[in-house]
Amino acid sequence: MLPAVLLFTAVYLYPLSRLVAWSFFTPAPSLRHYRALLAEPAYLTAFANTVTLSVSVTVTTLVLGYPVAYLMTTLSPRARAVVLACVLVPFWTSILVRTFAWMVLLGRNGLLNGALVALGLVTSPVALIHNAIGVQIGMVHVLLPLMILPLYSVMVRIDAAWLRAARSLGAPPPQVFLHVFLPLSLPGIGAGCALVFLSSIGFFVTPALLGGPKQITIAMLIDLMINDLLNWGLGAALALMLLVVVTVLFVLFQRALGLDRVWGAA
Amino acid sequence: MSRIALRAVAGVVLAFLLLPIVIIVPTSFSASAYMEFPPRGLSLQWYRNYFVSRAWIEPTLLSIRVAALTATLSTIVGTLAAIGLVRGRFRGRRALEFFLLSPMIVPVIVFAIGCYFLFARLKLIDTPAALYLSHSIVATPLVVVIVGSALRTFDRTLEQAARSLGAGYAQALWHVTIPILRPAILSAAAFAFLTSFDEVVLSVFLGGPAAMTLPKRMWDNVRHEIDPTITAVASVLIAASIVLLTVAELLRRAAAPTSVSAEGGPAH
Amino acid sequence: MVRRREVLKAIGMTTAAVTLGPFVHARPARADKGELVVVTWGGSLVKAQRKAYFEGFEKETGIRIKDDTPPTPAKLKTMVDSGNITWDVIETDLAAILTMRKDSLLEPIDYGKLDKRAVDSVYPATRLPDAVGSKIYSFNIVYNTKALPAGKHPRTWAEMWDGKKFAGGRTMNFGGGVTPQLEIALLADGVPKDKLYPVDVARAYASMAKLKPLVNKWYGSHAEAIQLVTSGESAIACTVGPRGMAAKREGAPIDVEFNEGKLAADHWCIVKGSPNREAGHAFINYALDPKRQAAMSRDVPYGPSYKAAIEFLKPAEARELPSSPENEKLQWWWQAAWWGEIGPDGKTNRERETEKFARWMVTG
Repeated sequence: MLPAVLLFTAVYLYPLSRLVAWSFFTPAPSLRHYRALLAEPAYLTAFANTVTLSVSVTVTTLVLGYPVAYLMTTLSPRARAVVLACVLVPFWTSILVRTFAWMVLLGRNGLLNGALVALGLVTSPVALIHNAIGVQIGMVHVLLPLMILPLYSVMVRIDAAWLRAARSLGAPPPQVFLHVFLPLSLPGIGAGCALVFLSSIGFFVTPALLGGPKQITIAMLIDLMINDLLNWGLGAALALMLLVVVTVLFVLFQRALGLDRVWGAA
Repeated sequence: MSRIALRAVAGVVLAFLLLPIVIIVPTSFSASAYMEFPPRGLSLQWYRNYFVSRAWIEPTLLSIRVAALTATLSTIVGTLAAIGLVRGRFRGRRALEFFLLSPMIVPVIVFAIGCYFLFARLKLIDTPAALYLSHSIVATPLVVVIVGSALRTFDRTLEQAARSLGAGYAQALWHVTIPILRPAILSAAAFAFLTSFDEVVLSVFLGGPAAMTLPKRMWDNVRHEIDPTITAVASVLIAASIVLLTVAELLRRAAAPTSVSAEGGPAH
Repeated sequence: MVRRREVLKAIGMTTAAVTLGPFVHARPARADKGELVVVTWGGSLVKAQRKAYFEGFEKETGIRIKDDTPPTPAKLKTMVDSGNITWDVIETDLAAILTMRKDSLLEPIDYGKLDKRAVDSVYPATRLPDAVGSKIYSFNIVYNTKALPAGKHPRTWAEMWDGKKFAGGRTMNFGGGVTPQLEIALLADGVPKDKLYPVDVARAYASMAKLKPLVNKWYGSHAEAIQLVTSGESAIACTVGPRGMAAKREGAPIDVEFNEGKLAADHWCIVKGSPNREAGHAFINYALDPKRQAAMSRDVPYGPSYKAAIEFLKPAEARELPSSPENEKLQWWWQAAWWGEIGPDGKTNRERETEKFARWMVTG
């Protein structure tokens, strides 16, 4: 097939990069690096940090994103387009720009602290940056559209007939929501959570800029190993482990939630 | 959920989404020597600084060049791949599809490390080639998704009509399918361009003093010394994103008025 | 049928050309691009260097200077190992030079190409086979004057370590090619200036551990440190004093305490295998000129390596230099020799401690 030729172009570019990476794991037998990694307390710390961060970011984006997605389904096409634009513009803005904006906003002399002090809520500026709070806010902001879009794309397909039927049977609105809408939106929830969680595990830019000494993520650790410790073998091993974790999780999510539909729907 | 409560909550979240972007633009017009919001005086000094200083303009030009090359390469490869994937009936199609879309899931830093090793061996570090090749890998899945979804809603009868009139497969493709797909293809190219233009991690790992893209320059600046010129740069980038997004959306509307806009994009 | 094959070929060739193209013209010899890459320490330093050295050099020779940062020996080793050398001239301290020398990463300096008077006038200790002195710098207590007004500011490293007496976040260097400040940690712990070497590493780390909870951000570059202090994010920094002085001159709420400061020299050196050796020597020669060094010191008060260059400065300007008699009395000179000692594992102390520090940073 015509495209097959070019598929192979993409095919050799991509895995070639990786294959050589693999081969780099064995200047010394790669097992040594893995054993070193698992014994390395730094790795466990970074891993724990990354997972905790990713989970809390996922939950926060879900809580914040669900209402927005739901709202979008109730609006007129014109209003919906406006809201969609409000979600898409940040999404397609460079992550550096967004993270940098938070650095400005959250700094000691930044807008948020200024407001807090002016409103009398605090007596002196609060440390909102270079710590867990800053990283959370930054990552939630970056990933929120990634949660909203799949949620919306599933919600919009929910047949209103179900909701009408439930209501006509006498169910009060909260019940209709809880027992009919929510379950039907589950695939969207699953897809959104999967995307956000998998993305946040590999995050580098935002934690590096907004985080403090305790917020080191796996991606940052990889960077540290490659650039500061210059231990390529260890760094490569860590990168490979990250890849394996992400792939396994993705396959699990795929199986559990039947995400194919969401990809295909895009 | 009462209407008002819903709108209030959603409104707050949307404000949260837009806040940083809305803050940066006014700050870029600040007349003082450092960043402040709201700016006490207005001035174009930072924009002037941006466009006058070699240290900012050269990376901008390189970024544009690399992004253009990326858009070209990934659009060609991606479009053809999409055609093959949607139309083809060969074994391992699903696997290939997964493979081509996998860069969307693989953490960029992992890919960056792999590329670093490879390109180091090939002596390509710190060259534009390393950049546009790696960016293309990240951008191609996007093209495949966008063009693929347009293909799926594509009405094949036109193509079949052309075939029945004696056109060869490639001819039909070239003269019928692709022109109709053009809006989707151009829209995909716009997104590919934007993806490459904003790409940070790959540019940091694979670039260097000779191949410095705008994101790499911004990254260095933000990490080390925040020069307020960066607010002007950021504002220009925001404007560029909005323009490209609008163009892409208009193209999409021309192509398939009913489909939902593409989800899935780089969130690195 | 024929059309299809033609199209196939055409597209295949285009894509091949695009992807293989870079491999064909990926080897522009950097020498014939008329460019020189000089690696120094960013921020206000490189700005001053651009004004005092780079711009004039570019005009005189037509060779464009690109700057990069930071000059990490480990990164250079990677470059040389993989054959991807993108650096030409590096400015760094003796410990780094000793490390790079061990791995044969530096070109010998051809002193015949340098101005004899300049060479004779630099600090003798900075005349090395593979490096020549560029400037004198110091690591000092740099603090925010809004949080810690003059008179109520820390005067010793022990006071920087004292979170009760002086409130506010601290910032200290991590990574970015700067060696860990083990000696400063020892001084904070009460070790006298003359008993710093050989460095009691265990005691230094124990002392660092006491500082760690007070650090709100570990800075990756000196420019970042200055930024943190001027913005008030951190109250006290252990960073390069001259940069603090330069910021103070611009009106930032920052000041420098020279007591117990660490004095050291930076040197120019040339990367082994650089295709621009000639240009590199020409640049170093250009930067040794006393008038130009004085111009640089006027911008950011680093001490010139050409000792007599201070005659081109006003007395007030000369007093601010870390190498001025007043300030030199308060400080102590860094002994890079200990850092360059090679251990049984083939690594210099600098390499080992940098790695250890990175590990300690993540696990603590």
